[in-house]
Order: sequence, then structure tokens, then C-alpha cells
Amino acid sequence: MAIEAVFFDGEYARDRAITLDVQGNDLVFSGQDVPQTRWSISGLHPVDPPSPGQPFRITHHSKPGARLVIRDEAFVHRLVAEHKHLKGGYSWTHLKQVAVWTAGGILAIAALGYVLVSFLPQRVAFVLPETWRDRVGGQVVDGLVGKAKRCNTPAGDSAKSAMIAALAEGNTDLPPLSMEVYDMDLVNAFAAPGGKIIFTKGILAKADGPDEIAGVLAHEIGHVAHRHPETQLVRLTGIQVLISVMSGTNGGDFTSNVAALAALLRYSRDAEREADTYARQTMDKANINPMGLRTFFEKMIKDEGGAAPAAKDSSALDTLGNVFSTHPGTEDRIKQITPLPDGRTPAQVLTPEQWKSLQSICG
Amino acid sequence: MQNLAVMTEQTTHPAPHHAPERLTFTYVPRKGLMKLTIVNFLLSIVTFTIYRFWAKTNVRQHIWSCVHINGEPLEYTGKGSELFMGALYVFLFMVLPIVLIGALIGLVYGPESPLLFVLQMLVIIAVYVFWGFAVYKARKYQLSRTQWRGIRGTLSGSAMTYSLLYFGSLLAKSMSFGWATPVMNTVLQEQITNDMRFGDAAFKFKGRAGPLYPTYAACWFLSLVAIIVAIVAIGGSIGLEKLFGGEGSTTTPETYAVLAGFAIVGFLLLTALIVPMLWSLYIARELRTFADYTRFDGAQFNLDASAGSIIWLSVVNIFILIFTLGIGWPYINQRTVRFVIDRLSLEGLIDVDRIRQSQVPLDKRGEGLADAFDVGGL
Repeated sequence: MAIEAVFFDGEYARDRAITLDVQGNDLVFSGQDVPQTRWSISGLHPVDPPSPGQPFRITHHSKPGARLVIRDEAFVHRLVAEHKHLKGGYSWTHLKQVAVWTAGGILAIAALGYVLVSFLPQRVAFVLPETWRDRVGGQVVDGLVGKAKRCNTPAGDSAKSAMIAALAEGNTDLPPLSMEVYDMDLVNAFAAPGGKIIFTKGILAKADGPDEIAGVLAHEIGHVAHRHPETQLVRLTGIQVLISVMSGTNGGDFTSNVAALAALLRYSRDAEREADTYARQTMDKANINPMGLRTFFEKMIKDEGGAAPAAKDSSALDTLGNVFSTHPGTEDRIKQITPLPDGRTPAQVLTPEQWKSLQSICG
Repeated sequence: MQNLAVMTEQTTHPAPHHAPERLTFTYVPRKGLMKLTIVNFLLSIVTFTIYRFWAKTNVRQHIWSCVHINGEPLEYTGKGSELFMGALYVFLFMVLPIVLIGALIGLVYGPESPLLFVLQMLVIIAVYVFWGFAVYKARKYQLSRTQWRGIRGTLSGSAMTYSLLYFGSLLAKSMSFGWATPVMNTVLQEQITNDMRFGDAAFKFKGRAGPLYPTYAACWFLSLVAIIVAIVAIGGSIGLEKLFGGEGSTTTPETYAVLAGFAIVGFLLLTALIVPMLWSLYIARELRTFADYTRFDGAQFNLDASAGSIIWLSVVNIFILIFTLGIGWPYINQRTVRFVIDRLSLEGLIDVDRIRQSQVPLDKRGEGLADAFDVGGL
């Protein structure tokens, strides 16, 4: 049954009256100035979903600019009932497109996250210039030790040099490094960028001999050798970029925040293991008794859960966690530390006098 | 089939011609906006908001199709993927590089580096300079995706010219304490309206800013008076309490703190409510005037907008936004379009049949910068 409809050719705004009918699988229409045209129904596409009171508009893939406007609701109803694709609304193609882009977006963010947080940081850390490492290291140390005094005595300083020399001599992979003691009661040691290794007065007091401090120093030198402090700093910048990318903000200013600095130097388990391995190898080479590190390690664990660090130096070091940060795997880490092989007598790291002057460096 | 297509081509030369006609605008609501709103919201969650480009497109399609001109609905032909690509493009080539450069500077020179400050300043200046660009491009995209009787609109001019004009207008407005606003708005409106096309037919804008000034001056001085009255009333009430409370008064410092708190809240409420309400007088006046200044073919526009109707539109829109937690934004768009369509008329006759399709090429992507800047609009 033929009906009246209107045709727009997409070239002129003129409306053209036509008569329209379904013939088999085609829509056939013609009018006074429209020659007979045949559109396959499968190639039709509704502009909007059919809706009562609104003209039904369709187009055809062979002439995407053209529009057929049908106002006969009974005809539209019949046509749409027979050909479901004319119902319009949400189409699978669109939803699939959206799903693909969403998956792509998540993958891209994940890839960016991998590059910024895992792949790049350590590589970048190794190529950062010495001046940068030194300057940033100074900032990190200042942020972490707060107002605590740096301890120096001529005898103590020469004891530090002797210990560093014993451990670092001949290690070609090491950047310049230094060891400083600060007048703080809490028990801790950490490595900051630029090879700046910091010990507290508390950790020296806690130690029962130079072997224990040498073990801790070897561990911190391990962090320095692997550029862990610099890596963490680069990683933090990466996280900042990631946050600003996902949130559309500037990601906040981490590095000016002392708490963030502390978080910065909390290494992953892998990093701790790397430092441990480095420490074991170094002690083996320097012929230093590794059991010092082990006993100190065990001592620290016994204290955990007991008295928290007595001193409140109002320092971010409290939140840093100690050298042997207690994440799972600590037992494992201790077990890895074994005595020097039979027949090798450990060397003396410091003479008793040197040890005394190091322990009393803060007076 | 093929020769049929050829025959259709041949019919595009003018044949029987209708007489020029009067155009009337009506908003004919259709069902489905609620469903769109809900489904869009759910899909936006599932896709981590990526769906918002398709959601925006769906809603425009719906609202456009409710706008009838002489019984023939408008059609929105934009695609969600075009908006998405626009946003992606801006993200990859503008946002990401800036973020990376900022991160690099922060890493190398430290977070307090003056270079970082310079970068931020440059970004802020760039946003101001390109704001007009974003507005123009977004308008162009929307017009070129809007069809009536199979013919689309467009903006045929330069987005950069408009952007510089826009930046200049911001400077002029701020340096003149706002008094350049009527002139600058008229210049901007003239620039963009004269670039506007429907098919090959142009819109024309002609008129001066002078008639806007009485209303502008009234709003400007009334706002000033409102703010001064608010300050005096609040300051005065605290002062009086202090004067007459005297010694032995029960007024404690806490009471003062509470009073001062009330005073500040009252001041903010007053300025946040009264001042915008006052300014809706000017906005209504400007809308009416600009419509009067706008012609298309042989007809002149008329927009019957009053301050009261604008206040009502805005207040209800804000309530919808708050009480639906933002999910109801399609209704806000619908109400805004409806506000215009219900009040818009064209006086005079237009020779519709003569209008041919626009030859201005279509942009492939849409609204990326406007999305990044969060420029208002639909």
C-alpha cells in the first residue's frame, strides 16, 4: 500500500513530495520531481528511533545525505516491526567501539604506568648527573634529619673513612659516597641520593661491635650502588605524572613534603634483597664477618613491636621504618646471611680505639 | 540501481518552487530522555567516564530531534567517536607534553624551581589566548553537525581571529572595570554571527552596543550598592553590638565569633544570590538585543527572554544538578534548549527552497579544546 512521504536530497533544502511503497526487500519511491528510486531495506538506517508524534526519518547507505521523512505512523509501525534494525537506539557497533576505546584507554594507562613506575626509574637514575644527585640528596637529608646536629670529631671521621675504605675499595660500580652521623636517639640508617649514607647516634649505640655497623653500612652501600634512592625519586615523579594524567590535576607536590620523602626511601622487598646481596658480596670480598649484620638484624627484629623508638625527634625518620623494614620475607633475608667459609678468619674492621671514637662521635 | 542514482542526481536542478515562508520554532518532546540519562550514567561508570562523549552525542541527538522548525525536526549528525578523538588529540599533543615537561623540570631543578612557575604562567596565558579558539571550534562543530531539511550549518571564518578578539575583549573588560562589556560582547557576537551559515545562506548581524548601556549601568551601580549595603549592614551590626553592649554586657568573644560567622555567610549569600539576579536583567537585555540585530535571509530574529525567566531557568537547573548529583545534566540541556526555542521567533519570509548544501568541509574531530578547558555550553 503506497503512502505519502517527503524526500530531501541533501543538496537543496527543498522538500519533495513522494509516494512510497515496499516492494519485496526494497523501499521504492517517486514523486513529481523525484524519479523512481529503489532503496534496499537492509541498507536503511533510522536517524532517530521511531517515536509517536514525531516524523520517522531514515537514510540509506547509498546516499547518506538524503532523508526520507515518513509521517504515516501505521506504515512506520509495520515497517519497524518487520525490520528490527530500524528501531535505532543503542547499537552494538557503538557499544563495541566504546568498549574497544575503554580497553585501549586502560591498556594505555597501564602501559604508561609500567614505563613510568617500573621500566624507566632505575635507568634514568643511572644517567642523572652527579651535580643533580648531590643537590637533591642534600635536600632529602635536610628534610629527613630536621634540626638534628651532624656529629664530627677528627678521630670519629677517620674511623668512618677507615670503614668506608674497607668496604668500598676496589668497587668500581660505586659513585662517590659519604657517611654522616646525626645526633638522634632513634635507631636507623638510610641512604639518600648522591651516595649520602646517614647513621643516627642511636644505631651506633645499639651496635655491639664494628662488624654490626659495617654490615649495615654494606647494606646501605648496596642501595647506593643500585641507585635506589634516585630511582625512588624518579618513580615518584612518574607516579605524579600518572596521577595528573588520570585526574586532570597537577598531581600534587610530593617532593616538598617530608612525609613523602620518608615514603620515598621505603624500598620494595626486591630493592632490599638487592642491597642485601650487594652487602654479602662486599663483606665477602673485604673479608668482614657477615654475622655482625645478622646479629644486628635479629636484635632489631626482637625490638620490633616492643618499645617504639623512645625519642621523638619530630623527624620523618620515625615513619621511615628502620634498615630492616619488617615486610614479609625478613626471616628469609636473615637466613641468607651465612658466616665466611671455613678457614677464613674475618679481618678486623676497626681497631677498638677507632670503634670507641666512632661510637662517641656525638659526644 | 546505478542509473537510478544518476537519475536522482539529475533532479537537483530547481523544479516546482514553494513561495518564501515564515518559519516557526516549536519544541516537541519525545519519550526516552530518562532512559538515555540512566543508561548513559551506567555506561559512563563502566567505562571509567570514557562513554561521556557518546553520552553527550546521544543526548544532543535526542534534544535536537525535538526542535521542530515548520514541523521538520533538526538532526544532530555528530558522532561520539569524533568528540572522543578531539579530546584524545588535545590530551596527547597538549596536556601530556605539558605534564611531562613539568615533571621533568620538577625532577631536574627541584619543585621550587622558577622554571616551573614560568611554565604554569605560560599555560595560564595560553588558556586565555586560546579560550576563544575553543569556543569558536566547538560552535563550528555543533553547527556543522546540525541539519535541517538535510542542510547543515557551519562557521566559515577563522577561529584564530575570533580567539584574538576574545582575548582582547577579556583585557578590555578587566581594564575598564567591566564597562567595556557591552561593546566587546557586541563585537564578538557580530564576528561569530557573520561567520554563521545555514547551507550557503549567511546570517547577518548589525547593530550597536549603545542601547545596552542603560541596563548595564543600572546593573553595575545596583551591584555596587548591594555590596556596599551588605558590608555596611554587617559591619554596622557588629559595631553596634560592641558600642551598646558596653561593660557588663553578656557578649562574649565566642558570641562575636558566631556573629562574625553569620555576617560572612550572610554576605556571601547576598552577593552570590542578589548580584547574579541583578545581572540577569542585563543578560536578558543582551539576548533580546542580539536577537533583534540578527537577520537570516529576509527575516529578523526575536527572542522573548526576561530576567525573571532566566532566573527561573538557572535556579531550577542548579537544583536539578544538585539533587541528581550531576546525573541529570541531560535535563538541564533540554531545559536550556527549550528555553530558547519557546521564546525564539523569526519575523519575515525566508526562501527555503533556494538554500543549497554548505560547501565548507567538515572537521574530523570535535570540541577537544573546549572539553579540555571545560567551556560551558551543551
